[in-house]
Amino acid sequence: MSEASVETPVIVNADDLYAGYLPGIDILNGCSMEVREGELIGIIGPNGAGKSTFLKSLFGLVPIRSGSVTLGEDDITNLRADELVKRGIGFVPQSNNVFPSLTVKENLEMGTYQRPKSFKEQYERIGELFPKLVERKDQRAGSLSGGERQMVAMARALMMDPQVLLLDEPSAGLSPDRQDETFVRTRDINKTGVTVIMVEQNARRCLQICDRGYVLDQGTTAYTATGQELLKDPKVIELYLGTLGA
Amino acid sequence: MTNIIDRRVLMRALIVLVVAAAASIAFGAWGSPAVASTVDTAVAHASAVSSETVATAPQVDTITQTAVEPDEEIGTNRYVQQFINGIVFGLLLALASVGLSLIYGTTGLSNFAHGEQVSLGAMLTFFFATQQPVSLPFVPVEFTIGWPLIPSALAAIALAAGTGWLQDKFLWSPLRRRKVSIVQQMIVSIGLSLAMLNFIQWWFGAERRRISTSIDTRIDMGVFTIGQTTLWSVAIAIICLAAVAYFLLRTRTGRATRAVSDNPALASASGIRVEKVVRLVWIMATGLAAVGGILLALYDNAAAFDVGARLLLLMFAAVTLGGLGQAFGALVGSLVIGVAVEMSTLWLGTDLKYAVALGILILVLLVRPQGILGRAERVG
Repeated sequence: MSEASVETPVIVNADDLYAGYLPGIDILNGCSMEVREGELIGIIGPNGAGKSTFLKSLFGLVPIRSGSVTLGEDDITNLRADELVKRGIGFVPQSNNVFPSLTVKENLEMGTYQRPKSFKEQYERIGELFPKLVERKDQRAGSLSGGERQMVAMARALMMDPQVLLLDEPSAGLSPDRQDETFVRTRDINKTGVTVIMVEQNARRCLQICDRGYVLDQGTTAYTATGQELLKDPKVIELYLGTLGA
Repeated sequence: MTNIIDRRVLMRALIVLVVAAAASIAFGAWGSPAVASTVDTAVAHASAVSSETVATAPQVDTITQTAVEPDEEIGTNRYVQQFINGIVFGLLLALASVGLSLIYGTTGLSNFAHGEQVSLGAMLTFFFATQQPVSLPFVPVEFTIGWPLIPSALAAIALAAGTGWLQDKFLWSPLRRRKVSIVQQMIVSIGLSLAMLNFIQWWFGAERRRISTSIDTRIDMGVFTIGQTTLWSVAIAIICLAAVAYFLLRTRTGRATRAVSDNPALASASGIRVEKVVRLVWIMATGLAAVGGILLALYDNAAAFDVGARLLLLMFAAVTLGGLGQAFGALVGSLVIGVAVEMSTLWLGTDLKYAVALGILILVLLVRPQGILGRAERVG
């Protein structure tokens, strides 16, 4: 685990966010979060709690009606996605996360669209993390399996060399062994110094690897603590984790 | 290129073309007595050019369509001739269709006003090639135009591409920003199409206009003949289409264009300025449509204000046949439509030639719903 402590500077601060897709209907009702440099943050909660909406609002994909998001000292509330990429935030959506008609290599190239000169260097770095992708560099991404697509999506986001990586349910739809691989890989990415904010349905596995967790309920931040503390919290166990997988 | 366009898919497209051509020729051989009386449009095309009185003055004139008698040429094979005509027509149609497909791919819009962009290219070339004084609104400058064909065509293409920029800047982009649905946008495009059609007719009249007065010399290639101007048109079309292919496959912006076609939200999340890419696509598409209009006007000797409107359904057919949103699909679709349209005149009345093309569209979609180059995506 990374050594993020109270002395480590805050990199992302979301303060009292209200956001939603349709006019007049808020999905987030005062959501807040503070993320320190190098942390791995897990966001869990029941279906419809607003987890994915929260992540999308951080990335400018859902309009924030009130509240603010800062990256370091800069206010990034409602900035366009491509502006956020320029500032070092990468986002991996839950579904439709590859360009199906582009080859694997072209998908990765899109990750360095704003900094094309860094492609070669980043491609070599990512090739070491995801050797399977290099083997399939000329294959169309649309012909890959769900797990492989997830790998391409993560690799594409990492090609941007982001300081903050937002992952929306990276294990969704994957087989158990692929899920494990995804969590291990996420941990490895975090160890390289990238701050990771991850939304997950597999709450237990997510809390096992994350530094801190946020539990969302009805669009607000219900609890926050370290991953290990949340795993042992009776209320969290009863409401969100269940006892079967303990 | 083969990693983008699956080899198997390319082979299928080629097979469709070859089988269509072979079947047409074979069928033609059996039915030769029946076709003996049909008009060989290519030869007619040649005789139309040679029989016309051409003005020697630089001023461009208007012509009226006249019935032309067939004029059999020794050595030409009508089936090969029609096949070649079909390829030529298909290539010219492709110039317009590729742009339509790119717009559909990147924005989801079926642009019904694309036909008028084709007409605009031909009509603006006529405008610049016609000797007349021109004064600009709000600018106290008056000058005379009546330029040669190439500068006229280049000016027309630039102006037509400029209308693409204008349209996207002041119409389509604001509609997208306000989340106006695709169906509503399509209805807007129908309205725009009618407005542009009426505007072009008001400006240039309903007559067919010639943009070049030079005599098109026929070149005898053994089993078929082809006009020198047509040959140039084909060369220009191939160069333009190759340039589009190079742009899409080999340049960073071209790959970004394909990425936006695939998934605009993800493209934006990758740092691509989607709106910038879409603006570029509009400029390219309208510019290509203008090139198509100019070359079609040269191929047909003249063009009227509704030349594009008449082609619109064929363009949609080509785009759908090739695979919706696939730029290369539009090319293959256009070639199939071009060959079908031209070869059908060997057996059927010319009034039915477009019906044949649309019939082929229905047949192909029944067998291959995603179109010739469209690909079914793996799920999960």
